[in-house]
Amino acid sequence: MIWKTMVGRMIASVVCSSFLLTGVASVAQQTAPAQTNPLTAVLPLTSKSPEAKRLVEEALSLYLDRVEQEQSIEILRKAVQIDPDFAMGHEVLAQISLDSAEQVAEQEKAFATRNHATSSEQLVIGWYQDAAEHRLIPAITKMNDVLNQYPHDKWVIWMTTWWLQNQAQYERSLAVYERSGITDSPGLINNMGYAYASIRQFDKAFAMMDKYVAALPNDSNPQDSYAEILRLAGRFNQSIEHYRTSLVINPEFYSSQFGIADTYSLMGDQVRARREYEIGFQKFPLPELQQILWKTREATTYVRESDFDGAQHAFQAIADYAHSRQNSQAEADTYRQMAMCEQNPKEAMAYLGKAEAATQDGKNALKIAISQELAQILRARVELALKIGNKELANSNLARLEKMSESSDDMLIEDAYHGAAGAVLFSHHKYDQAISHLEEDANNPLSLKLLAAAYQKIGYSAGAKRTTETLTNLNDPTLEQALVVPAFRKCSDALSCGGNAKSASLKH
Amino acid sequence: MTYRRLVLTLLIFAAGLPCTVQAKQFAIVSDKANATANLTAAELVKIFTARNRTWADGKSIRVVMRDPSSADMQLVLRKVLNMTAEQAHAFVLAHRDAIMLADTDDAVLRFVSTSPGAIGVVDLYSLTQDVNVVKIDGKLPVEQGYFLRGN
Repeated sequence: MIWKTMVGRMIASVVCSSFLLTGVASVAQQTAPAQTNPLTAVLPLTSKSPEAKRLVEEALSLYLDRVEQEQSIEILRKAVQIDPDFAMGHEVLAQISLDSAEQVAEQEKAFATRNHATSSEQLVIGWYQDAAEHRLIPAITKMNDVLNQYPHDKWVIWMTTWWLQNQAQYERSLAVYERSGITDSPGLINNMGYAYASIRQFDKAFAMMDKYVAALPNDSNPQDSYAEILRLAGRFNQSIEHYRTSLVINPEFYSSQFGIADTYSLMGDQVRARREYEIGFQKFPLPELQQILWKTREATTYVRESDFDGAQHAFQAIADYAHSRQNSQAEADTYRQMAMCEQNPKEAMAYLGKAEAATQDGKNALKIAISQELAQILRARVELALKIGNKELANSNLARLEKMSESSDDMLIEDAYHGAAGAVLFSHHKYDQAISHLEEDANNPLSLKLLAAAYQKIGYSAGAKRTTETLTNLNDPTLEQALVVPAFRKCSDALSCGGNAKSASLKH
Repeated sequence: MTYRRLVLTLLIFAAGLPCTVQAKQFAIVSDKANATANLTAAELVKIFTARNRTWADGKSIRVVMRDPSSADMQLVLRKVLNMTAEQAHAFVLAHRDAIMLADTDDAVLRFVSTSPGAIGVVDLYSLTQDVNVVKIDGKLPVEQGYFLRGN
């Protein structure tokens, strides 16, 4: 299972053996330049406490080579308790933590204590700080400078490839990995499998998964990853087999149980999917966000069978739960999704109102997360306004979204703006202009659908064909996929939707 | 699953694995001593098509880029050179004194950082601290409406 993070948090890890080469740095050593031989250079870890340093090395090894995140976090917390000035200890914890408040606090501590670290470590901390503050160009230059100094250091390769993947730079991430010559890190192998899957090079993704399974034969996560990538490739039955194997290895690995449910849903068997979700809910006590995530997936099964009343009932229960937990963003997001699958436009508009009200509450959520959610709500309102022919409403919400987008270089907010702007321009038959926006939001099925049509309108058959193929092969268990892809597949197969993209591709 | 990144926001519901072409962004780079911080798109086109060969201070301009007929450089080919791949190939051959080709972005950056008066074009994610990033029409690559962004 892949977890999408909106705040671009990164996970960092390192190999213990790399750090065995470095002693405890003295103050004089701390300011020394990086080692000059990039073939053997390793990023230093500077702490006044040998024990804290050892703990961080242990945590990183566990994390990168054993994929044991929770255990790593616990160890890192101990390390920074022992040495509160351990800048890289704070940085690693900031990247690995599962707690948003801790991520933010640890990043601040890493930045505040950076003067206790070497210039190389300061470069890493500066890179993450720039990224956290949405200063993309300085973040990129620092990342490349770190990479150029340590092109074969496992941790640096991990940090770089993962950050690039979060920036959707999959091919670059793979190039960095391949140039590194590192072939024995299960954590890197896992991530590279996902990188290949992201660019739909499934043969290479499967080869990575074979290596990952071989490296950790007694772990569930390799089987779970393999299953997810098989599902993305549309190989559903094999996917379920791997999820089941994961559960045999570790019956408590609950994401595999929900992975089975998601897969049945994508296969079109919603009754079976709901049965599998229920097994998961009964068997595993889940953290709040995961409970909401899979309840949402369960609600989406009703959308897939066009039972919109059933969907609204299920979504309402989630919104109520989120409200009771004072989780404003979850509540807002659920109302937004209710609006997206509501058939009555007036009701849909009311749901968007509730969603926006929840963002104004803003309880227990990061400011950036609320902004991202609001952007999604505005985008949904633009699309709904276009649907009911209310151009004024569409334009006013688009203007709000544009303003948000201009004042932030957050990728999600920008994507939401481009998706909405593309939809408005498409509705005005300004296809060339629509395309330039829709291409910027090319991971959203709603935009992909319009993009395929816009390409066709301007006579770009190859683009229409490529986009149609992308959309028809999209196997993500999300609401957007449920709303767009199955209908698009039917339409495309039947050639019954006037001017659909497949007909364009056939003409080509 | 990938590393168990427990999401902090719930927009995950909308997000799946990306699987499409991501819009490219190119950065125009100059050597650190170059005082030109901004060019208009028209000025950029003139420089890359060898119609302007000197900077305001009189220094010679040397353009360096990867092969403009390669797949990765289509945006530059279309928006800066405004030529077909064949035309670009012939154009570069005919202007070897002003335009250099490099195999990689790293090579472009190396040349620009060590050659006063050089200007190059690289993928945004190749940038290092050894060069200046030149704005186009007052915009950096990350800004909305930037000239060298798209598919």
